[in-house]
Amino acid sequence: MRITGPGLSSTRDIRLFISFREAMADVQRIDLLDPAEVARFGGIEIVAQGVVEGFLSGIHRSPFRGFSVEFTEHRAYQPGDELRYLDWKILARADRLFVKQFEQETNLRAMILVDASRSMAWRGAPTRLTKRAYADRLAAALALILLRQRDATGLITFDEVVREVVPARVKAGQWARLVRGLVDTPDGRGTAAQAALVRLTSLLARRGLVVLVSDLLFDRELALTALRYLRHRGHQVIVLHLMDPAEAELAGPPEVRYRDPESAASVVVRPRELARAYQATVRREIDAWRTACRRHGIAYHHILTDMPFGMALRLLA
Amino acid sequence: MTFLHPLALVGLAAAAIPALLHLLERRVPPEAEFPPLRYLSEAERQNARRLKLRHLLLLILRTALIVLIVVAAARPLFPTQASGGSLHEPTALAVILDNSPSSGLVVDGRPALERLKAVARGSLARATASDRLWLVLADGVARAATPEALLATVDSAAVSARRLDLTAAVRAATRLVGAEPLPAREVHVVSDLQRTALGPGRAGVPRGVRVLALAPPPASQAPANRGVGAARVTDGAAAVSIVGTPGTGAAGGAAPVTLRIHGREVGRALAVPGSTVSITLPPLGPGWWVGDVVLDADELRADDTRLLVWRVAAPARVAALSAAGGGRFVAAALAVLEEGHRVRVGGTDVAIGDRPEAGSLVSVVLPPAEPALIGQANRALAARGGRWRFASAGTPGPIAGSALPAIAGLQVTRRYRIEAVTGDASRGTGGDTTVLATVNGQPWLVRDGNVLLLGSRLDTAWTALPAAPAFVPFVDALVNRLARGEALISEVEGVPRVEFRTRGADTIGAIVYGLDPQESDLTPAPPALVHDVLEAEVLDGAAFAAARFAGAGRRDGSGLLLMLALVCALVELGVATRTR
Repeated sequence: MRITGPGLSSTRDIRLFISFREAMADVQRIDLLDPAEVARFGGIEIVAQGVVEGFLSGIHRSPFRGFSVEFTEHRAYQPGDELRYLDWKILARADRLFVKQFEQETNLRAMILVDASRSMAWRGAPTRLTKRAYADRLAAALALILLRQRDATGLITFDEVVREVVPARVKAGQWARLVRGLVDTPDGRGTAAQAALVRLTSLLARRGLVVLVSDLLFDRELALTALRYLRHRGHQVIVLHLMDPAEAELAGPPEVRYRDPESAASVVVRPRELARAYQATVRREIDAWRTACRRHGIAYHHILTDMPFGMALRLLA
Repeated sequence: MTFLHPLALVGLAAAAIPALLHLLERRVPPEAEFPPLRYLSEAERQNARRLKLRHLLLLILRTALIVLIVVAAARPLFPTQASGGSLHEPTALAVILDNSPSSGLVVDGRPALERLKAVARGSLARATASDRLWLVLADGVARAATPEALLATVDSAAVSARRLDLTAAVRAATRLVGAEPLPAREVHVVSDLQRTALGPGRAGVPRGVRVLALAPPPASQAPANRGVGAARVTDGAAAVSIVGTPGTGAAGGAAPVTLRIHGREVGRALAVPGSTVSITLPPLGPGWWVGDVVLDADELRADDTRLLVWRVAAPARVAALSAAGGGRFVAAALAVLEEGHRVRVGGTDVAIGDRPEAGSLVSVVLPPAEPALIGQANRALAARGGRWRFASAGTPGPIAGSALPAIAGLQVTRRYRIEAVTGDASRGTGGDTTVLATVNGQPWLVRDGNVLLLGSRLDTAWTALPAAPAFVPFVDALVNRLARGEALISEVEGVPRVEFRTRGADTIGAIVYGLDPQESDLTPAPPALVHDVLEAEVLDGAAFAAARFAGAGRRDGSGLLLMLALVCALVELGVATRTR
């Protein structure tokens, strides 16, 4: 078996990937597995590649539309492939089914913004990924898809300040740089999204795609002001609102003091008493974000961290 | 509202436990990180009012739960309008069940006692363990026991031969319950309420004691009754007194009275209530005789017959020594008695003198007129083995003694004290020694074996006895009865029977038991009189049942409170576990 894939530079990575492929041999769609289970097989690169492969094989077409295609190679026909890409000449000559694959011409500059604040390093249960871990893997998978489409992809990680900036490029090794940027960003403290978004506006001179991956635990109006500005500059903006399932529904001991990891604030509550009201508040908050984003032409998606990566990516398709 | 166990209310202090726990037992809750704290704060801010109300509701429910349980444990009693309440406040209750002979009256084919027992049972059956109970029957004894034991006593009670003085019984019963430190005190008088059952005076009911009396039938419905009030043999004839409900004679006319000896009719007469008839006895041999006087049966059978007992004996032969203290009064009396064939003068049966006569069976010894002869008399007595003697002169005073009731109260102006030889009176009283009469508490007439010692001479200078009408009967009793050692035939209230008193092989007296003649008068007492004498509320059957135990039934509210507590617990459970 020939092992290929970007970012597999070390022997250890290759060994891990082989183990991963073997373990996943009987699983056709690993992108639909539980994220925590998938994360056990390796680091961000391995998981992202596996997810993207599964995702692309299931979707059977490029999730992001391009134009001005350029032929690159043939591949064996698979049921579900569009017949218009079938190479009729090979079929007539060798009686074998091959489809033609094309490279899209890059005309998209995508910048992925990953929230690395302290609140993102939280998980409601040990069996789940933290929001940050989920965001890293999802961002890596998304970047891989974009890069495969020859789209220039960049990364900004931030908490109170902008931590890492990887300019949007399409050259070889860009994905590895992006992954390294994710890995090198430590868990932060507070969140000041608007500062990062203002910095982003200066980095994105050309119009493109902006994907914000965050738990959105900051001031909604301030964040929306920045996002509206981006939208006004002609960017296509997508907001991925990450939330741990434990944040969606309140549960816990009879009485507990909850402390905000990003501030000194705390409150004593009886989760059973407040569960219903809390759930309603969360639902209202999500609706408020969705409505506000829709009003300004911003795509908004609510993602729980137990949602398979493939399903999260499909939201973007 | 009252409580059966008021001490349990101390537990109400536990009602403060929820609030104290809330204030004092606040634990430090565990801490945890929770990023979406802003959502939490927002939810809490929006629901603060609802949560406060919920906490307040929970506090109220938990406090109410404890209060309800504690109050239920104290067994609250709620008054009810109906008399059928199963419980009442703790009561000291005395039930007077009059099972005197008149309760044996048959009314509508059933003894009146059955109706009275049913009413008494009704009172006792409603008693609870917290009550203090007594039952008083015709014997006047207050029996304290549990309701069950007293119910059994009531069930087994039969018509008694004893008359019950209701006034005295109510007086004693009210004192009894009045001394009990209980919230309620009652006396239930369950009686036919004869007018004659009300004794002298008033009951004098203490404050706080209720007396309820079962109303008798109206006086117009008083049952007719005749009974033998008394029967006594005198001078060869039986004098029989007929008693009964007034008016019975006019309605029913004269009734036949039959005298029987050993079941054989020996005489008959007609009599109406209130009259006394004399039935001549046939000649009978010497000895003790028992007979009965019988009336025709009526609704009250107990008083239709009465026993009588008498002795037939030959007249005593009496020798009165003229020189002795007998004097002219004794001689005159003996002459009268001889004329009536009660004695025969001149014999050796009884000798009356100032010293014992050796030839006579019994000597009646009077003190000598001369004080100088006292010593001689005493020596003669000692020679006969006497254990009593004349002593110094005694103080004047009235005669007292049950053996000779006819002379009781007559004045003695001069006398010698009679004392035992040893100086110790108790040593002089043996089986054949009897003090028959006293003056100022000192022996005045003593029977010592076959000697009768009299402290005074039978002369008006010594005593008023010779001048009294009772003198001749006294001399008769002295020579015919006391000289033989016989006692008076006494009549006692009790189950009709005769008990003979004996000394050695001799029968010396008899006690005839019979009913109190007052029991034959079945006239009911007017309610006003009952109210006045017994200070009682006179109520008919239904009203009596309704007025028992403070007049109102009381129901135990603990069941209802426990139900409320259960509801509180369920609501509390629902509120506490409600999460959405």
